[in-house]
Amino acid sequence: MKGKAFLKIFLTAFLLFFAAAVPAFAAVGCDLNDPDRDVVRLFPDSTGYKTSYAAIDKRGGEPLLRRVEQRLRDRFHGIYETIDVPYTIYEIYNGKRKVGYIHGVNQKGQFGGIQVFVALDMEGRIKSFYIQKMTSQWAKKLRDPKFGRQFTGLALKDFEAYDPATGKASGKVAEIRNPAPEAEIDFRAALRALKKNLILIDEFVFSAERGKP
Amino acid sequence: MISGFQIAYKNLLRKKSRTLLTLVGIMLSSWVLVSLLGFNRGYESALNRDIDNMGYQLMVMAKGCPYEAATMMLQGGTGLRYIEQSMVDSIVIRPEVDKVTPILMQAFFDPDKGDGGGIAGYFGVDLTTFPTMKPFFRFRQGGWFHDEQATEAVMGFEAAELEQREVGDMILVPEKNVQLKVVGILERTGTQDDGTIFVPLKTLQRISGIDKITTIGIKVKKDADSAKLEAALYQLPDVQVVSFTQVKQTIMKLVATARVMVLSIAIIALLIAMVGVVNTILMSVLERLQEIGILKTMGAMPGDIFRLVWTETLILCFSGGVAGIGLAFVFARLSDILVRRVLPYAPGGELVAIDLKLALLTLAVIVVVGLLSGIYPAWKAGRVRPLESIRGE
Repeated sequence: MKGKAFLKIFLTAFLLFFAAAVPAFAAVGCDLNDPDRDVVRLFPDSTGYKTSYAAIDKRGGEPLLRRVEQRLRDRFHGIYETIDVPYTIYEIYNGKRKVGYIHGVNQKGQFGGIQVFVALDMEGRIKSFYIQKMTSQWAKKLRDPKFGRQFTGLALKDFEAYDPATGKASGKVAEIRNPAPEAEIDFRAALRALKKNLILIDEFVFSAERGKP
Repeated sequence: MISGFQIAYKNLLRKKSRTLLTLVGIMLSSWVLVSLLGFNRGYESALNRDIDNMGYQLMVMAKGCPYEAATMMLQGGTGLRYIEQSMVDSIVIRPEVDKVTPILMQAFFDPDKGDGGGIAGYFGVDLTTFPTMKPFFRFRQGGWFHDEQATEAVMGFEAAELEQREVGDMILVPEKNVQLKVVGILERTGTQDDGTIFVPLKTLQRISGIDKITTIGIKVKKDADSAKLEAALYQLPDVQVVSFTQVKQTIMKLVATARVMVLSIAIIALLIAMVGVVNTILMSVLERLQEIGILKTMGAMPGDIFRLVWTETLILCFSGGVAGIGLAFVFARLSDILVRRVLPYAPGGELVAIDLKLALLTLAVIVVVGLLSGIYPAWKAGRVRPLESIRGE
């Protein structure tokens, strides 16, 4: 019996080792280019941060994906928006006290990938909105801090009625002005990314902290 | 009736610990030996494959170009040097040359790529010659451009992933604000091509307002004298030649040095294992002198005793060798990973290539060396005098 148990353990360890050694060609995540610099910029009172990773397939699989899509009011599509995308979550600290989160997502834009980051306080309210990368003739306007400031203070509940497919919104989100009407596709893409961003961080962090999915 | 093989096997089982330790020694030596021989073969073919996958072994570019390419990356595409496209015609007629492809490298500054902006690199390639230089390219989606003037792009795996592009999407050339349609996305190659955006040469020339090129890629015929061609290319005005053959030779020299050292260690390990074999068999013979004497009084000839003891050596070496080779097969990937961590440059693909032929060769080496080591104990056993050995007890 002992021999069999040993064999089982050996085989399991063996398989796990080799499974871990398989080259990872998983989907690409979204990281801050220079976290040390960017964290301080987005959270001026921060003294440090911790990085963790989450993926829908690891946190809840298909049921979580369906829930996220339902809340987003849009499906995940294309070859890059997949269930295995690893999301980087930056937990921000002031001393030993956690003061917020930074989280980013990749979003397909009209001419290239858009990397949308959001800095949230502990209640999930937006402190800063930041487009790290965008390829567009009008990217400058959409990356302007003035555009980003329109989102300050908003939270996921404000985006609940926002429909990324039609761009229809109500309440505070409807008041957000597109500074580049020529780049309507990228403007909507940025809003979709922001809503997805807020949903994901709610699922990965706030729901877990509330103790329910 | 019990056979000589069974007697030899039972003899080995008498001292299980000693037999097991000897087996482990032989097994480890075989493992190291077959892995090293596999690495010897795998590394060279992987390196050759990598060089071949580059498509061209020689690159001709304007003098100072590599340094300016670095400047281009840092400062946003200024000050590149170019060569005339007509130079391609003067190179392609040389007898050593198999294929030639002109390339235009351009980098455009995108101020909205990160905080300080970033560079978007484009390769203008010739539709008729470039794909034949890269036969290993596989498309994840779509294919090559439709014509030489098309406003289309083919994206490397990582470039497409970063830009979230699929076939049919548009990309925008920064600075120039020219839109290109993505017609192909490549599978991952593990090379710099993964981060590259390919555009038809004429299209990129049109976008950049340049009718020249930056690089000529040259594939040399298999039996041709690459050094001679290189020397001839240096005669062309204001160009420099970058040869992958030199790079390959330098890497191979480094690897060969390391290989000799490691192979020496493997041979020492093998010798130590064989000393273990001699020790085990000799001890076994000395412990059984009386028994061997009785066998002889019963009519066993020295040759019979020699064969019996030699069979024990054979069983030890064969079993240890098979176990070691089996381990080498099972852990080939682990060896691969470890070797990659150690080596300064590891080409793509399988580095430790162990096949049945190599396994059998190693087993033969182990068995032959083992049997040679077993000659002395077997000879000593064969020479035992029956009466003396019985009396001695």
